Amino acid sequence: MIELREIAYVRLGTPDLEVAETFATRCLGLEVADRSRQSLHLRSDERAHTLYYAEGNPEEQVVAFEVDGEEQLQAAGATLEALGHSVHTGSPNECASRMVKAYIGFRDPTGNQIELVVRPDRSGRRFFPTRDVGITGFSHIGLNTTDPVRDERFWTQVCNARVSDRIGDIALMRISAIHHTLAMAPGPKPGIGHINHQVSTNDDVLRSYYFLSGQNVPIVFGPGRHPTSGARFLYFTGPDGMTFEYSVGVDEIEDEEGHRPRNFGFEPSSICMWGSKRLPKASPSPQPS
Amino acid sequence: MKRISVEQVCYVRLGTRKIEEYARFATEILGLQRVSTAGGDVAFRSDQLHHRICLTEELPDQQCLGVELSDEAAIEPVKAALLASGFPAREADESECRRRDVRQAIVTQDGSGNTIELVTRPARSGRRYFPSRDAGIEGFQGVGLRSTDIARDLVFWTEILNANVSDRVGEVTYLQIDDRHHRIVLYPSDRSGILDISFDVESLDCVMQSNYFLKERQIKVVHGPGREVASDQVYLRFQGPDGQVFSYVWGMNAIGGGHRSRQFSAKGSCTWGSECTEIPELAAQHAV
Repeated sequence: MIELREIAYVRLGTPDLEVAETFATRCLGLEVADRSRQSLHLRSDERAHTLYYAEGNPEEQVVAFEVDGEEQLQAAGATLEALGHSVHTGSPNECASRMVKAYIGFRDPTGNQIELVVRPDRSGRRFFPTRDVGITGFSHIGLNTTDPVRDERFWTQVCNARVSDRIGDIALMRISAIHHTLAMAPGPKPGIGHINHQVSTNDDVLRSYYFLSGQNVPIVFGPGRHPTSGARFLYFTGPDGMTFEYSVGVDEIEDEEGHRPRNFGFEPSSICMWGSKRLPKASPSPQPS
Repeated sequence: MKRISVEQVCYVRLGTRKIEEYARFATEILGLQRVSTAGGDVAFRSDQLHHRICLTEELPDQQCLGVELSDEAAIEPVKAALLASGFPAREADESECRRRDVRQAIVTQDGSGNTIELVTRPARSGRRYFPSRDAGIEGFQGVGLRSTDIARDLVFWTEILNANVSDRVGEVTYLQIDDRHHRIVLYPSDRSGILDISFDVESLDCVMQSNYFLKERQIKVVHGPGREVASDQVYLRFQGPDGQVFSYVWGMNAIGGGHRSRQFSAKGSCTWGSECTEIPELAAQHAV
């Protein structure tokens, strides 16, 4: 079994790096770790980077998970190849761009681009946000699935994810005590549904609600509260139509052995117990200048 | 001179020409429990007290605030003290007291002309409070009052009665009478009247749930969800019949004996950044 330890980073393509940087710093509140003409590394916590933008196609989306060591990485590669996945081993240059010691890349059964990494860099300096956003770190992603049953099997049997709760066909899966690191939702094609950063307090969520509204950032969902994880949340739209989320207060599953996934019906109150309604997924919209 | 001790902010009486419409709002939207007073008036409970809101068949500008005195024996001294300081004061007759479910009352006015009733022994109910909807109301927090003369109002509240100024945001003045940060807020205005009537709810969830509940029913949310810088209280202010503003609030600070009143900048009363454009007295708090 492939033991995923932690979610490591997201890599996104964008046609306009400048727009992405403006949004990431002025709105999202991340810190620029490194910038080149074609790429941008951003920090959200003690790690050297957790979000990366490169000039390119916005459909190029990658999410990475950390595994324990190179031995586990090789074993994972062999497991995946045996299952028929094509596995790419990162070159030294590719590793440098990811700030990791080693990695392999593959696609999950839906076709989402996944990377497994070893020894991602931490930074000696603490994270310093560009605005008073209260971010404590990159925490989870939403991922599309074209076949929830098949993909749940992949993530929970080939990998070590466990289902914490379900909302209809959406599976909220954990790889640690944190309620979920992967929210897998049905979608027509591969892709990242949303990118979550945790903030320290409820005040941070509401402050950002008014701040982002004032910046004309489209708020697509919330402020609200998930009855599954207990988290208070805010979803909003970033460059190229990508959805970002702030949340606080995600439950931990204390009884790892005894926990049984709960099933919530696929209805608005299962996703927000406060009564906020999600707007239809926005097409790429103009960003604040 | 010894100040007269106040026990609690007790009730409001609101004049209205549309009692049944108001009653629908109070039950279906606010979520209060409908009762009637001993005098037959339409009234509403939010907690163990017999009623917190009473509707009267008067014009909407006829409003008054009931405040319970700690000591029954204070009725005579408070009347004398008010008259000596130039405030009107008269004792309510038996039928007035019956309609208020109180034993005795002095009817007076603060420095701005807001009618205040100082009462003794307001009736409690023997049955527990049963809400009309799941708004999570736990009780009556207090009121905001419009003030045309803050200095004169402070004579009334803090020299004759024993309220204390807990904090100020610009000229907005918070008055404390128990361990809560405040129960009454004075908002500078060009007229008198009750600016808002606040009910405690049990959690932040309840405030936010009502935010979406009200918006779906086209109730105008005029301020918030927000959080007061001075008291830490989360609030949601919305408009009912006759334009009267009501609030759900949660999470107010308690303040201890060592508290010294603080001055906050007039530039922002909400730590989250919510703004109000509808109510001039609240909008003034965001003016730069």
